[in-house]
Amino acid sequence: MAPGGGGGGRGGSSGGGGRSWPSTTSVSSSGKRIQKELSELSMEPPPDCSAGPKGDNLYHWVATLFGPPGTPYEGGIFFLDITFPSDYPFKPPKVVFKTRIYHCNVDSAGNVSLDILKDGWSPALTISKVLVALRSIFNNPDAYKPLVPGIAHLYLADRLKHDELATEWTQRFAR
Amino acid sequence: MISDSIPNASIAMASANPKEFAKKKRANRSAKLKQCKLDARREQWLSQVKNKGGCKDEVTGGAVAHGGPPLQLVTKSSRSIEKLEKIKTKCEDEIYGEDGSLMNHFSDSESLPSNSPTSHTSSVLGSNDSGLNFTASSRSSISSISSSGRSSSSSSNCFCTGNMSEEDEEGDADVEDDCLDDWEAVADALAASDKKQQQEHTPNTGSGLKNHENAIESGTQVGVGPTSANQESGGTAKERSLVNCCAWRPDDACRPQSLPNLAKQYSFPLNSERHLGGRGAVWACKNLGPTPTSCPICFEDLDCTDSSFVPCSCGFRLCLFCHKRILEEDGRCPGCRKQYEFEPLEGEAMVDGGSLTFRLGLTRSCSMITRS
Repeated sequence: MAPGGGGGGRGGSSGGGGRSWPSTTSVSSSGKRIQKELSELSMEPPPDCSAGPKGDNLYHWVATLFGPPGTPYEGGIFFLDITFPSDYPFKPPKVVFKTRIYHCNVDSAGNVSLDILKDGWSPALTISKVLVALRSIFNNPDAYKPLVPGIAHLYLADRLKHDELATEWTQRFAR
Repeated sequence: MISDSIPNASIAMASANPKEFAKKKRANRSAKLKQCKLDARREQWLSQVKNKGGCKDEVTGGAVAHGGPPLQLVTKSSRSIEKLEKIKTKCEDEIYGEDGSLMNHFSDSESLPSNSPTSHTSSVLGSNDSGLNFTASSRSSISSISSSGRSSSSSSNCFCTGNMSEEDEEGDADVEDDCLDDWEAVADALAASDKKQQQEHTPNTGSGLKNHENAIESGTQVGVGPTSANQESGGTAKERSLVNCCAWRPDDACRPQSLPNLAKQYSFPLNSERHLGGRGAVWACKNLGPTPTSCPICFEDLDCTDSSFVPCSCGFRLCLFCHKRILEEDGRCPGCRKQYEFEPLEGEAMVDGGSLTFRLGLTRSCSMITRS
């Protein structure tokens, strides 16, 4: 889906940190915006999160989320792929969980049903805010707009069973 | 004879001057102006000379019309000195009477490279010295004129009537070394005859160091002929340097009050637009908090128009490009996610553009008002 189509986001090799990401010469408006977000993210990252370009493509990022304490996802490290469309930020970024997670808003393919990543997207939102929102659904799954209805039903019907399964998945897949 | 000399002289001038002008890369306009002025001056002078007597006509006619070598002047120098002394007063009157034209001509010839203030300050000093040491300074200044360039001598041609024909001779004959010797001989003779007047005018030249009017006075009174040209070039050089001051330095004390203050004009519109745009006073959005310096959507810098552009009542600012882009898609404010007040139709952007130009015009008109 238009990975990196809009701009010449090319630079040197970079790990997840992205601190040494060189400024590319001719980037589109989305490229400039993404670079700005990257620098701001490295300056003050949201808690228990990190994100940065996967390789030398500015439009493909990898984010990591740490399972918040007090939830069945505690102790888990969840990797996400973030793909920026070429018309970002007017279109939302695509976020896919690469780590399996037992969550009613994340299907088996890793797709996330998050309002701000679909209709609720605003160009004023940033990846940092998206990460905060993703982290919030660890604490409060939105069972009324589920992507996996079975998990949502279990969450509403038997919270303990749901948490037990979620902890098990976290131990299995997110360690 | 005079009737002959006038066209001949004008032809000689016309043939001599374009050479000089091409050499100095002077503009055609100033060349024409100078030519007209020279012609008028020559007629004026010749009419005066005609009133004086026929002997003078011979001198000037021989020199001007035939374009002969200045050797004639040397042989007639003793005679011409007497005549020139008579002309002297006329010269003075003319120079005083035509101050305005002098100034105008200087402003025309300001672009000459030899008219830099420093070189003329030195020549001013030299001309003032000539009040005390006449022949030496006249020689040195003549040599400096002929060696350093024709511009000063040719510019002094226009204003020194007694000297005009001889200097034109120098330009026409284009044999500078011979001219120089002859000039020195003339200068010596003039110095011998003008000793008395030098004594009279020495105090004037002393004070002429400080006052350029005095410098002109001394220039016109001390000597007629080549020295008067030098003196005048000295005096006029000082005047020209004053003109240069007026032209180049807006804070100069000699600058006329009537001249517009360019610095204020240059700086004001920028400042006013920045101010108005930054405060947003025109747009009635000053209570919306600090204006971001860059668009929160594309992170491009907000210019004056963008920073004054608040499309939504929530106060979310963004640049016009991003606003148009959003209007093309869902048309919701990124800040509050509400629809923009305009309908997201095709004409929407046009309506927005119209209001934008109106606001721009308003800003400019306000700046005009505050300026006046």
